[in-house]
Amino acid sequence: MDYAVETISLTKTFSDLWGRARVLAVDDLNLQIRTNEVFGLLGPNGSGKTTTLKMLLGLLYPTQGRAMIFGGDGADPKINTRIGYLPEESYLYRYLTCRETLEFYGRLFGLARRVRKERIEALLDMVGLKAVAHRPVGTFSKGMARRIGLAQALINDPDLLILDEPTTGLDPIGTRQIKDLIVTLSQRGKTILLCSHLLADVEDVCDRIAILYGGKVRAEGKVEDLLRQADRRQITTGPLSDGVVSRIRQMVSSEGADCEVSAPLEKLETFFIRIVSEAQAQSQPTSGAVSTTRIGDFLAQGWDRGDVLDSLVHSEAAEPTPGVEPQVSPASRPIETPAPIRRDVLDHLVNPGQEGDEPPTQGMDEKVA
Amino acid sequence: MHRVLAVAANTVKQILRMKIAVVFVLLLLVLLPAMAYSATGDGTVKGRLQTFISYGMSLVGLLLALLTLFGVTYSVTSDLVHRQVDMILTKPIRRHEFLLGKFLGVLFVDAALLVGLSAIVFGVTVYGPRFMGATERDRVQLANEFFTARKGLRPKEVDVSQEAEQEYQKLVKNRELDQYFEGVPKRIVMARLIQQKRLEKRAAAAGRDLVWEFDGVHLADPNGSLFVRFKVDVSVNPQDLQVYSKWMIGDLRPLRSGGQPQTPIYRAERKDQIRTAREFEVSGQVVARDGYLAVGFFNDPANNTVVIFPIEDGFEVLYKAGAFEANFLRAVALIFVKLVFMAALGIFAGSFLSFPVAVLLCLVVFLTGTVSGFVLESFGYLGSQLSVVYEYSLKLLVQVLPQFDQISPTGFLVAGRLIPWSMVAWTGVAIVGLKAILLLGVGLWVFRSREIARASV
Repeated sequence: MDYAVETISLTKTFSDLWGRARVLAVDDLNLQIRTNEVFGLLGPNGSGKTTTLKMLLGLLYPTQGRAMIFGGDGADPKINTRIGYLPEESYLYRYLTCRETLEFYGRLFGLARRVRKERIEALLDMVGLKAVAHRPVGTFSKGMARRIGLAQALINDPDLLILDEPTTGLDPIGTRQIKDLIVTLSQRGKTILLCSHLLADVEDVCDRIAILYGGKVRAEGKVEDLLRQADRRQITTGPLSDGVVSRIRQMVSSEGADCEVSAPLEKLETFFIRIVSEAQAQSQPTSGAVSTTRIGDFLAQGWDRGDVLDSLVHSEAAEPTPGVEPQVSPASRPIETPAPIRRDVLDHLVNPGQEGDEPPTQGMDEKVA
Repeated sequence: MHRVLAVAANTVKQILRMKIAVVFVLLLLVLLPAMAYSATGDGTVKGRLQTFISYGMSLVGLLLALLTLFGVTYSVTSDLVHRQVDMILTKPIRRHEFLLGKFLGVLFVDAALLVGLSAIVFGVTVYGPRFMGATERDRVQLANEFFTARKGLRPKEVDVSQEAEQEYQKLVKNRELDQYFEGVPKRIVMARLIQQKRLEKRAAAAGRDLVWEFDGVHLADPNGSLFVRFKVDVSVNPQDLQVYSKWMIGDLRPLRSGGQPQTPIYRAERKDQIRTAREFEVSGQVVARDGYLAVGFFNDPANNTVVIFPIEDGFEVLYKAGAFEANFLRAVALIFVKLVFMAALGIFAGSFLSFPVAVLLCLVVFLTGTVSGFVLESFGYLGSQLSVVYEYSLKLLVQVLPQFDQISPTGFLVAGRLIPWSMVAWTGVAIVGLKAILLLGVGLWVFRSREIARASV
């Protein structure tokens, strides 16, 4: 079977000056990422995520084992033409302007001048930096640098996008936009390897994940399979009267199960985006946020109309690997719809409310767990 | 190639926008006109121009060499330290293409600045006399001795070791060795005897003559001039410190057999100050068609002293063999050769060293190469005590490194001497073709082999 990314017994040991092994960063790692899959590599700081990516890309050499991309060496220029890489920080030339930065990377890919120009303009539009395209990137905020970093990773319309902590330094809107983008690219046949320790990001967009600790895979599988609680059920309904809720409680109790009824909370991310969007709609001034919602707007409006993103991503999706069941991204669910809140997790994170503080249920969505 | 050019273009922007070049260029733009104004030399117009072109071109060469080594090492090491290489080397570019791009980018900056700054030096030199109140005599002198590219003919060194050995044996046989060289080792006695014999070949007793013969003399303009440049020393100082002499210059071969000369024969009687460089002009028509030229010197008996032409600068015949403009161009080419080497050295050092260490290494090599003659001479004395260690370590190292002082073009320009294309070509082959490419190759190999990313766990 052909994999977009594959590691075989990949091991990396960092040695000291005298060649003595000091740190076992990656330990006998075996990963297989299929084409058109959004794969999340999770782990706490220092768990070996970035080291694995660097070995895949040929920036570090394995101590043992092999790291392959599209069946070949990640340092091979032929393979590199199909990869887009966003490192954990956007290592940009401070003296280049935004447009020159993309121009430089476009030239490294050997893109023809006309194609380069078109893609640069489209990417600047997409990441919302067109208005500041003439500014040196050294003057950019971390979030803006992240956006230009993302744009350079997409300059070649890559088949495989490797994103290392892509949402670091981004505001919630930027984070959301990156996630939207990942979903969209996945829908268009791209393979995405996402490396992060921000669990919410990964959960929202990934088909499969692997959790690294101490350089070893501790858990791997589909997100839904790993997170599903087989002994629990969740029902989300429209507005219900108190009487109906009471009857439901009785029915559940008669089955001998616990029952908790509450009004679901909107996701803070969704709430935040709504507030900012309203402020923008009222044209309230801001020092640099003109660009912050462009990806979201663009993506929200764009993929049906097929404008800029179509020009950036080839319509022919990567061929799915024969014999492999097509992966359905949980992110293909419309993200705009607030996802149900897991009360058990929420209760674990915040202090339990006092009795009698139960929120009103009339006229609101209601969640029964 | 487009990838190499992309990196090169980016390197040019890096050097210019990070203001690495600004300091050097500003310094030159201030210093060059200031030097043109303040240069005095020996007080003559020619002296002022000689001083200006000497300091001007030396300064351009020095500051551009420093710019090169700082620029290229910064460009490579900065990309490694600030991790831009992580983004670049994951694109379809090979590592050697990345380094070659850096190399070419720095050379492009060098070439542009060298052309611009040399043009300033050239312009000030050529148009300077108009603003220096040059007289007609100054102009003629400048045309003959400065705005020209002259070749020099020097008497061939004769092998006198056999004669010196015979003299030594004679001293031994006559038991006179201790009388003259008591306790002196034979090596030093022989060195002194050889020097004595060489001077004898360039000396004429009162009433005796000396004849120097040259072949292969071809003037750029057969109707142009020859310039006999000489300086005489004497065994006993004449009262007025002047030497009287007669000169004959031309094809003297037929005279020996009593025949008729095929060329005009220049004859002159002169009176010249001792130990002072003198120069007189002779028509180029005295050179035979086959390129033969003879110069005869007769020591007037009235001098009553032996006249000696010192080995270093005692006698030389100069003739115009090219134009000043082309010579200046070759001088610029020699400077560029040096810059190419410095760029290759910077790439080599930057491929595995941090910025300060790489710069230090480059500076040591550059300064050693700039004073290589002095270093070799100084350690040569020490080397006689530490011969084996010296021969195979420091001496070898200095000889392997380029000896920039041997290819300094300013001395040629100051004296209006021709820098032959062969010298430019040989310098290019020896320094760029061998040493620079070797350094570049090692740098590329190191960079290709090393891990680019750092441990981050």
